[in-house]
Amino acid sequence: MAEIHKIIASLKDALGVGARSNSQAEAASAPVPVAQSAHRAALASTFARELEAVGGKFLGILTPAEVTNRIVTLAGEIGAKTVALGQGVESDMEEIGEALERADFRIVRTIPVADTERAAMRERVANADMGIAEADFAIASTGTLAVVSTGDRPSSLTLLPPASLVIVQIDRVMANLAAVLAELGAGGVAANRLTLITGPSRTADIEKRIVLGVHGPKSIHVIVVWPRDD
Amino acid sequence: MAEFPKARDFFESSRAAVGDHELRRKLENASARHLDHFAEVKAEFPAYDDERDAAHRIKTDAIAHLDELLIELTSKLEARGCKVFFAQDAADARDYIVELAKRRGAKTVVKGKSMTTEEIELNGALERAGIDAVETDLGEYIVQLRGERPSHIITPAIHLSKEDIGQLFTDKFGIEYTAEPEKLTAEARSRLRAIFLNADFGVTGVNFAIAETGTLVIVENEGNGRLSSTMPETFVAVMGIEKVIARLEDLSHFLEILARTATGQKLTTYTSFITGPRREGELDGPGEMHVVILDNGRSSMIADPVLREALNCIRCGACLNVCPIYRRIGGHAYRSVYPGPIGSIISPNLFGSAAGYLPFASTLCGACKDICPVKIDIPRILLHLRWKESTGEHPIRWPRAIERARRGARRFAKMARHPRTVRALGNFAAMVLKPFAHNGYLRRMPGPFGNWTKYRDFPRPRPHKRSAPAPERPPS
Repeated sequence: MAEIHKIIASLKDALGVGARSNSQAEAASAPVPVAQSAHRAALASTFARELEAVGGKFLGILTPAEVTNRIVTLAGEIGAKTVALGQGVESDMEEIGEALERADFRIVRTIPVADTERAAMRERVANADMGIAEADFAIASTGTLAVVSTGDRPSSLTLLPPASLVIVQIDRVMANLAAVLAELGAGGVAANRLTLITGPSRTADIEKRIVLGVHGPKSIHVIVVWPRDD
Repeated sequence: MAEFPKARDFFESSRAAVGDHELRRKLENASARHLDHFAEVKAEFPAYDDERDAAHRIKTDAIAHLDELLIELTSKLEARGCKVFFAQDAADARDYIVELAKRRGAKTVVKGKSMTTEEIELNGALERAGIDAVETDLGEYIVQLRGERPSHIITPAIHLSKEDIGQLFTDKFGIEYTAEPEKLTAEARSRLRAIFLNADFGVTGVNFAIAETGTLVIVENEGNGRLSSTMPETFVAVMGIEKVIARLEDLSHFLEILARTATGQKLTTYTSFITGPRREGELDGPGEMHVVILDNGRSSMIADPVLREALNCIRCGACLNVCPIYRRIGGHAYRSVYPGPIGSIISPNLFGSAAGYLPFASTLCGACKDICPVKIDIPRILLHLRWKESTGEHPIRWPRAIERARRGARRFAKMARHPRTVRALGNFAAMVLKPFAHNGYLRRMPGPFGNWTKYRDFPRPRPHKRSAPAPERPPS
């Protein structure tokens, strides 16, 4: 690795090392103020407004039982035949999967795969009409979902199928991006493949006109989960 | 690297572009649309200016500690199983990627949108090695099909109308003609999806690299960056040395302003945090991941305290949209991968002194400085580069007419050092020109001076002793 030393040496020369201070770094690190006290429901409603502003659809704040029913209804509404889903963050995705099966939808379950099975599994996820995932966090100010990818809940679920459904727990709706990054922490970000998703895939490359569904999903539906059935 | 075009080529291409009224209409439409969106999102984000200040500070500080940050980033990336390669110039980076693609037996390389890979001219090198390089960003895909280069940092096909693109798809794919953006996009989606599912090698650029976590951040709207970085078995990320920032908490300041300025969005659709190759059992992510960190003239910019600021650029493209020159000639006329105001200050350093004419392609109006999300003083750097050119540090070969004018200016400069001569000549000119003036202005001047009065009037010179301010501009 001779190249790195050459470049670092030329950088040191260029920088004239020694005459630099850290004062600017400290000034820059003051975080964006976080609205800690803001009520969850208010955050969820801001999230809903911003999500719709970027072309997403908000399906409401629902209890876990309602979530399952709403997903089965949605799968019917969009004319899905096959639905792909993986593990949740806090929610029981197996319950949702079983309910979909009872309603005669075909289910693709993403489980950890050996390298030899990857291509086949990916093909099945890509051919599903809808992918279901649970986000680790939501960002109210921008209508964004923060989704960590792991072996049993891969990033493909929110990328390959033409329709995307994402659920998120209400106490995981944060005020802004800085709050979510702080919540995940440097360690959390270092360890995981993370994607921030703000609305459906889109482009404005032809005469700056917005078209949805370029490489990713054309539609994204979001349900905020109210944790208790009372 | 192909030889950089000469100043004369720039004069020719910009003159042709100025006369292209269709191009002008497209550029004005796109720019106006962009500025409308930007004004909207800025109005509802009061913290915008504070975030700009923060971003400027963080970036300036990161550049000042670049050596340390790169060492930290490299060790974090390597700890997670990435291979890191430092490329001193474009050829180093190109050779490394082409060799790797050959060794892996790659037939098709899918590419996420990346200006840095345009800078190193990767596609041509891959093609010469018999490997297909497919641009997957819709705009890049379109210009690649036309055998062109992007004409804008953010909107590569800004110079094309939907009718142009409809015709292109009909010619290339034999599909029925349509100019509907939705249908054209759907066509590109299905063609590219098939390529993605089979591609074995992916290349993308990098927007930010976080040293403390060893994370690469890619910002995009379409999903092609996600696909290029997760589907292929081998993945290469290419970044300039200036992309590194110190901490995770620095990132939100940039993300809060980048999309707002670039596209008028609050946040782009997808922001991917890439941490290395996939782990045991994972469906997504490459089996092997390489990070190419490119210098290519950047460290020499750091050595110049004025130029250093240009490395703060986060490639939002906003300075292009507000630039009166860009809006009249478009991106291709600049003859550089990086067009517009930012291109004029970085190209001479990345592509050598041949691009030294670019800092002169500016009116110095300052609109670029006003809109820049990281507050780069572009006009100051333009002047600095002009000064370097005039002192022989970045000498360029001008066309003969310009060279004559410059010789004239130099002679004038010499003469202007003698106040008595200037006064005598001024008095003489005042006397001779007096009969030709109307309301204190000259409408037409003789000889080479006629170029000035072709577009504007010239205030009549006055005898030195009875000097008075120029009169109100007459109605013309």
